[in-house]
Amino acid sequence: MCGRHFLHPFSLVSPSNLNYLFMKKLLLPLLLLQAVYGFSQIKQEDVKTFTLANGMKFLVVEDFSIPNANMYLFYRVGSRNEYQGITGLSHFFEHMMFNGAKKYGPKEFDRTMEFNGGANNAYTREDVTVYTDWFPASAAETMFDLEGDRIASLSIDPKMVESERGVVLSERSTGLENSPWNLLMQSVQGIAFQEHPYHWPVIGYEDDMKNWKQTDLERYFKTYYAPNNCVVVVSGALKVDQVKQLAEKYLAPIPAQPAPPPVFLVEPPQEGERRIELQKDVAAPYIMIAYHVPNAKSEDYYALQLLNDLLTGGKSSRLYSSLVDQQQLASTIFTQFGESFDPTIFGIAGVANNGVQVSALENAIYAEIEKIKKDGITARELEKVKNARLIEFYGQVATINGKSNNLGTYELFFGDYKKMFESPARYNQVTADDIKRVATTYFKKSNRTVGILQSNVE
Amino acid sequence: MRQSIKYLLAAFVLLMGTVASAQEYKLPAYQKFTLKNGLTVYLMEQHDVPMINVSAVIPAGAINDGDKSGLASLTASSLRHGTKNYPKSKLDSELDYVAAWVNTYASKESAGLRSEFASKDQQLVLPIIYELLTVPTFDTAEFAKEQKQVLVRLSQAKESPRSVIQPAFDKFLYGEHVYGNVVGGTVSTVTAMTATDMQSFFRKNYRPNGSAISIVGDFNSKQMKAYITTLFSKWEKGQAPAENLAAKPVTAPTGNRVLLINKDDAKETTFIIGAPGISRNNPDYIPVEVINTLFGGRFTSMLNDELRVNSGLTYGARSGFSALRNAGSFVISTFTASKTTEPAVDKALEVLNKLHTTGIDETSLQSAKNYVKGQFPPKYETSGQLANLLTDMYWYDFNESMINNFQKSVDGLTLEKAKQLISTYFPKDKLQFVLVGKSSEIKKIAEKYGPVTEVQITEEPPKKAF
Repeated sequence: MCGRHFLHPFSLVSPSNLNYLFMKKLLLPLLLLQAVYGFSQIKQEDVKTFTLANGMKFLVVEDFSIPNANMYLFYRVGSRNEYQGITGLSHFFEHMMFNGAKKYGPKEFDRTMEFNGGANNAYTREDVTVYTDWFPASAAETMFDLEGDRIASLSIDPKMVESERGVVLSERSTGLENSPWNLLMQSVQGIAFQEHPYHWPVIGYEDDMKNWKQTDLERYFKTYYAPNNCVVVVSGALKVDQVKQLAEKYLAPIPAQPAPPPVFLVEPPQEGERRIELQKDVAAPYIMIAYHVPNAKSEDYYALQLLNDLLTGGKSSRLYSSLVDQQQLASTIFTQFGESFDPTIFGIAGVANNGVQVSALENAIYAEIEKIKKDGITARELEKVKNARLIEFYGQVATINGKSNNLGTYELFFGDYKKMFESPARYNQVTADDIKRVATTYFKKSNRTVGILQSNVE
Repeated sequence: MRQSIKYLLAAFVLLMGTVASAQEYKLPAYQKFTLKNGLTVYLMEQHDVPMINVSAVIPAGAINDGDKSGLASLTASSLRHGTKNYPKSKLDSELDYVAAWVNTYASKESAGLRSEFASKDQQLVLPIIYELLTVPTFDTAEFAKEQKQVLVRLSQAKESPRSVIQPAFDKFLYGEHVYGNVVGGTVSTVTAMTATDMQSFFRKNYRPNGSAISIVGDFNSKQMKAYITTLFSKWEKGQAPAENLAAKPVTAPTGNRVLLINKDDAKETTFIIGAPGISRNNPDYIPVEVINTLFGGRFTSMLNDELRVNSGLTYGARSGFSALRNAGSFVISTFTASKTTEPAVDKALEVLNKLHTTGIDETSLQSAKNYVKGQFPPKYETSGQLANLLTDMYWYDFNESMINNFQKSVDGLTLEKAKQLISTYFPKDKLQFVLVGKSSEIKKIAEKYGPVTEVQITEEPPKKAF
């Protein structure tokens, strides 16, 4: 995932106030958005929906707990819609959406928003590009005006293209400079996918980044930034009627466009283990093991997410307790499995402990997986991960931002925001046999890609 | 340009009528009481959801490390290794089963505990929290594992400029003052530590007097007060140290200085330009933050506008005040490709200079005020955020009036006062530079800004001062 900028929270009381310097993580592909725990009583009927004549769909949640509101715009475009030669363009385009339109020229989007007490950010993933506006509810009209202006009539100034190109090159470079994970994950993704567009990183190839053309940008805007390719979620201290009225005024006049071309590439089944080694001057070896798994609409999605929690959710999880705590083979262990439009990868990643051979860590990971495939899991373990998912569900909708982000994510990735409310029941239906079955189906040697990054590569 | 002013004015007029009244945020009611042993307790009921959040603050931060750098941090994380009643494996398994969590950590000045659990599990989790804070066992086998992991992480941190630059800057600025102490420790000091060190640091620094705990969420205050009073009154009062090391004066820099941290494989330069800042109890704290918002605290800030938007030199540039109880620092921070190090540092200095010479105008000041007010309420939306706020109120000695009068404090900042604050609190000279990058490419540039001290990123920070 790539973001527009590091978050700039104004925190009154944190001891390291505004000293968040470099806190936001960047460029973690396919990473499931982590939610803070919490609880909230939102119900399915609290979400109101309407669709404008031009096809732009709205989800609205009234919530007057604080005098603020937000607007999240989900566009169905990401690095999945690119091809070699324009890799990274979706993310670059995300940046260009802030660089001036007809009414609000260069810099005026941000200046007007901030003058009105609002802040914004944006992120690009493989499948979607999401724009986020956070504002005092009383400034809602300005937000609709700003969004309407740039969706209707973005102007792509060649001078802005050049300075923004420097910004994304810096974004790419600082990601690689500060964490070996970026390089390792991009490389693993690059060989796990050989034909499908998940092959390249969201940020793009450096040479493509230096060569995007004005015409590429113009075509991208017309094709993907159409109202019918966008879902808007608004949560906060606004009445549904007010949102509807603003949407009609500022967004309904924007004409619909023909549907974007479908992505037809399908990754062929992997029929043998793939391995990659990377040399970097690191203190301890890094490893990532990735298995091909299905997308968010698959029946197996819920069992795989619970398996994900069983492996690394909390200190009593299988991999943490065995590899970090008991055997002390790893200093860090985590898994990555998020929602996606097309079949994706389930990643298991770790850092070897001091003096531990990376092969010992790798084999120990396989041994834990084999135990699940052979012996399954206990009833208490299953109960534990179901409890955690229930608490997590409430945490995801504890804030107005969590509501908007999660509703939009379910609407796009699962095909319907209502699936968010069904998810606790879906998790509850998963049996211990399901867990054993998905582990057996997907965690096979022939289906895996292994990446190792260390200092002493032959 | 003309258009821009027109829209800003239109927005301004609109705003005066509506935004001002909508931002009112009042802290929900809470109660505060002190137990006989000196522990301060905050209780705030929040019934919208059946969850509880806890935050605790203990005067056991890294300023108490002495010559054992990393001791406070390792002691705090070792609390989580359990107690006699709750050995680590039992603790992990019981908490995970009910999807509850308890984290312990140390920062520069204090140690802390944070937790979240379902209300129905309060009789399970609160006694665990009590035990972790008062009778941890510091099991030697668990300590050995933790130590090993910390050592790997310390080595890994040296692979990332943004992990090393802030602690290096603090050491560079504060010198031998305890505010220069490196929270995470160093490979040599952590290697030398034993579980016994944890035990004695714990006995010396973890005490109810000088500590606070806040509980926010779905409970009945009357019952909770009785329960917490019984549970935590058993904690024995301790001896506060005779000398407050943090209160010693910080030696102010006498001129520009540069710390160059060489990283052989660096492709970019990460840098901080800093100076002494303000302490948390400074009466100008909020207005200074408003000005910083304008200078380097938001996307359209002067720094980000110049270094990112106008010139494409970086993905982001910012500034901030880091305020502690007795002192603080101010930093400008950013990063750029190695070959653009000089224009980026020069531009940052130029923007700082512009703040002093050209200053700020009424429109931009109004924009900053609107922005900080508009972004304020979501900071206190959840029980977790409120629990942390209450222990911060205790530690930094402020009360709800700081929150309830926030809007007034912001609105009260006049242009004239802003000019005065800029000249008082934003540095003009005697700047402290830290550059992390490839020395062979940037050393000559570094020398432009002041006398250079060069170290290797792989090296340990010095015991005393740079």
